[in-house]
Amino acid sequence: MSGLAWLTLAPILTPLGFGLGLLWPWSRPVRVGLSLAGVFLTLAFSLGLLAATADGTVLVGALGGWPAPFGIVMTADRLAAWVSVLGAVSAVLAVWQAAADPDPVREKHHLLALMQFLFAGVQMSFLTGDLFNLFVAFEVMLVASYALAVLGSTREQLREGFRYIVMNLAASALLVVACGLAYGVLGTLNFAHLARRSAELGPNPTVTAVGVLLLVVFAAKGALFPLGFWLPGTYPALPPAVGTFFAAVLTKVGVYALLRVFTTVFSQEAAVTNTLLLLLGTVTMLYGALGAASQREWRRILSFLVVSSVGYLAFGLGVGTEEALRASVGYFAVSVLVTTALFSIAGVAERASGSRLVRVRGMLDFLPLLAGCFLLCALTVAGLPPSGGFVAKYALVRAGLAQGSPLALVAVFSALLSSLITLYAMLNVWRGFFWGQHPNWLPVYRVPRALHAAAYAACALVAGLSLFAGPLFARADATAAELRDNARYIRGVLGDGPVVIPPAPTGEEDGP
Amino acid sequence: METLFALLIGLLIGTGVFLLLSRVIVRVVLGLSFITYGGNLAILTVAGLREDAPPLLTLRGPYVDPLPQALILTAIVIGFATTALLLTVALRAYQVAGHDDVEAFGDSLARDPEAEDGLIADPEHQGPDRPDPEEPRTLVYSARPPGGDPS
Repeated sequence: MSGLAWLTLAPILTPLGFGLGLLWPWSRPVRVGLSLAGVFLTLAFSLGLLAATADGTVLVGALGGWPAPFGIVMTADRLAAWVSVLGAVSAVLAVWQAAADPDPVREKHHLLALMQFLFAGVQMSFLTGDLFNLFVAFEVMLVASYALAVLGSTREQLREGFRYIVMNLAASALLVVACGLAYGVLGTLNFAHLARRSAELGPNPTVTAVGVLLLVVFAAKGALFPLGFWLPGTYPALPPAVGTFFAAVLTKVGVYALLRVFTTVFSQEAAVTNTLLLLLGTVTMLYGALGAASQREWRRILSFLVVSSVGYLAFGLGVGTEEALRASVGYFAVSVLVTTALFSIAGVAERASGSRLVRVRGMLDFLPLLAGCFLLCALTVAGLPPSGGFVAKYALVRAGLAQGSPLALVAVFSALLSSLITLYAMLNVWRGFFWGQHPNWLPVYRVPRALHAAAYAACALVAGLSLFAGPLFARADATAAELRDNARYIRGVLGDGPVVIPPAPTGEEDGP
Repeated sequence: METLFALLIGLLIGTGVFLLLSRVIVRVVLGLSFITYGGNLAILTVAGLREDAPPLLTLRGPYVDPLPQALILTAIVIGFATTALLLTVALRAYQVAGHDDVEAFGDSLARDPEAEDGLIADPEHQGPDRPDPEEPRTLVYSARPPGGDPS
């Protein structure tokens, strides 16, 4: 264990600590200050992780000093550090939005503390190195998200929140069963040890079955097509700041789990799971894009775009070549940042027009800078140059064409078609909200300056994606290489020698 | 004994799914509890059933593997907490909607949340359908922006 191993725990414990601190009834400025301090500190630790893993080190923090396969370990390789940073960036912007937009009722019921607990759960899911601990992390994250989903108890929130909770609890129960089965078949729950044991067993139908069960669970959490029905209803019902973080990161946790499990852990019979992922991805991309084109409210449209982006990630993962993984890792960053930016823009737009509907017309006169930001994000999400989204989608499509199986070609077609539909949906928003003559009987409200600033900051990050696409993809390259060959991860966690199971105690040593 | 356990787990989860598909909120909650306990029994079964073997290493062996027991303990605690939370949400939903029927919430994505049917079970605990007290919003312009058509 290297000297930096504590870094794997810091991004989890920081928001947890600040969350507990926020339960005390401070005055609002103090609470906001504490929240911001918490997320910035988390971001700093995540960046530390990013720097520490840049050379391919696998950081392992063993809880309680128990070495890897026997105790719970927190591990951070390039992928985990990367998504941890993205989660922390999105958290900063979400708290910024919450700070700029006071909500006395919800804040009295610990909105800010619950957000910190949510961040802790998300970071823990990214950094855990153990299947059962992943379940626990999911629950920490989901319990906070359940509370946030129904906080305020409007009728719409309760309706959608109840569905969200029931759906996720059922998926969690399935995850517990999958953990049990994995332990029964392979005798361990540590990711690295699972990978080594499944490699020893070779292609094995039972292990593949467990893998498919996990695929179903993570597809439900990540909102892949047939299991993502809850998402487009739930996210628009949330308060804007919370919705931003939910949309940007929560589905990506499911995708991260898919990436981790099907590249690092169960990579023996990849053909089965990859075909499934490719199929689901193909349908999800189209479903999301068509859904977005069918809706009329800001955040409903954007929620369907979230579904669509998950489809692209599943497509990249399903193609399964190193090039495709690289494109997926790149697209992951694009998707998290652009979703954060779009939801922030939607928050400002809804406040300014006083309506959730897109069709207001002529807001360009009042919000010219926001209109520019929206156009940039629209280009990014549709994947047109000169945005960072173009680079990522181009890489995805190229990887699909290079792999060249019939299913991959269908998926490429679906990806291109859904990009086109996404562009149509975004132009519809542009035409409905920004373009035209503002009807003079409709009011325009002043939006707090800090709320504007949060949206602009998020858009600056999106712009940064296209400016720094080179270094971004260089890192994605290294990450994909590491995912392709899991030996380094396994060695980093378990060490070089074989895992020695200590002999079972006979009960004689202790004496009477 | 594995067969018996497998049948039992199937029965538990089957009952759970049946209840989950019901429209009454409390049945949904109960169904989820059934599924959770089916899952816990599944862990126990998969890890190997042995009679008369404690998971505690300080007693005289033979031992059963203690890890699944720890997993189940964790899963029970988490399941308990989530069930409590879900029950609270269910109660709140009942108070706000006035029904214990899931259909009372409507299902359509396009449904207007403002269109109430006026039924509230508990007038003292009705939900703030608008949680933000209407803060004084500042109008930037109530009429056309400068440069627009003056007509």
